[in-house]
Amino acid sequence: MISLMSGETPSIPAAKAGRSGLSDPERWLEEYGDFLFKFALTRLRDPSQAEDVVQETLLAALKSGQGYAGRASEKTWLAGILKNKICDYYRKCSREISFTDLEFYASEEEDRFERGVLGREAWNHELAPQQWAKAGESLDNELFWKTYGDCAGKLPKKVAAAFHLREVDGVESKEVCALLNISDRNLWVMLHRARMALRRCLEINWFTK
Amino acid sequence: MIWWQKLQSVCETIAPDCRAASRLQSEMLDHSLTASERFGLRLHLLMCQWCRRYGKQIRLLHEAAHGHQEELAGTVSQRLSGEARERMKRRLLDNQASTDQP
Repeated sequence: MISLMSGETPSIPAAKAGRSGLSDPERWLEEYGDFLFKFALTRLRDPSQAEDVVQETLLAALKSGQGYAGRASEKTWLAGILKNKICDYYRKCSREISFTDLEFYASEEEDRFERGVLGREAWNHELAPQQWAKAGESLDNELFWKTYGDCAGKLPKKVAAAFHLREVDGVESKEVCALLNISDRNLWVMLHRARMALRRCLEINWFTK
Repeated sequence: MIWWQKLQSVCETIAPDCRAASRLQSEMLDHSLTASERFGLRLHLLMCQWCRRYGKQIRLLHEAAHGHQEELAGTVSQRLSGEARERMKRRLLDNQASTDQP
């Protein structure tokens, strides 16, 4: 498992590739350029920043002086370096941008609940969670992930950074807080709102469509 | 007040409402709750079908997202532009040439 906290290149066993006549960096760009770019773009949202981290990733891969035997694992290896570069970027930016975009979807969360007896807030019957048909099968459907990506794409940029690190990349909460330079409580609130928004978006656009 | 009304009012005092229960179920995915939070949430879930459903759904999405990184990246239609690709290639080849030298 590659540690996401270290900004260093994960070490891999040495093996020179070069079977296609192209040099390693050219081949990486050819075969994995789009994949790495898309991976970075879903996390950073900004094409020019995504290009920058892809370039840094390939430079770091080159600098490590090793190719990789086995195509699938080479892709994973490069994705591992890319994740570290994205984390470096977040770390750098967290000092410049404040990750306190907590107003996000507050109004929507208000709508979701209704104040009842003793001020207790219960689900608004029309907006409460619906039964999801064939939830398990959806996960194998490419179109489901397209919808998921579109819904996650609507999250505010800062919330999306926290969301991708925690939910998609499975980084531990403590590490996410350190990377984004936010408190535990801020992270939990962000993730709660992000999950609530995403759940609702998928319910409308996929599960009950 | 008959006994079950008393019980109900006690339950409402110690059990969170739906808004709090939805927050607690999300937080459970990120850190462990205190004993009283767990107790209150459990009680709430016994009584509330919507919150049970909510919890099940966010857990499904939480577990599903991890392990589908590639599918998610694949849904982006934008590709690396030809211009960026060329720029990177030049930069990489320059770099390779300089590292190859003794």
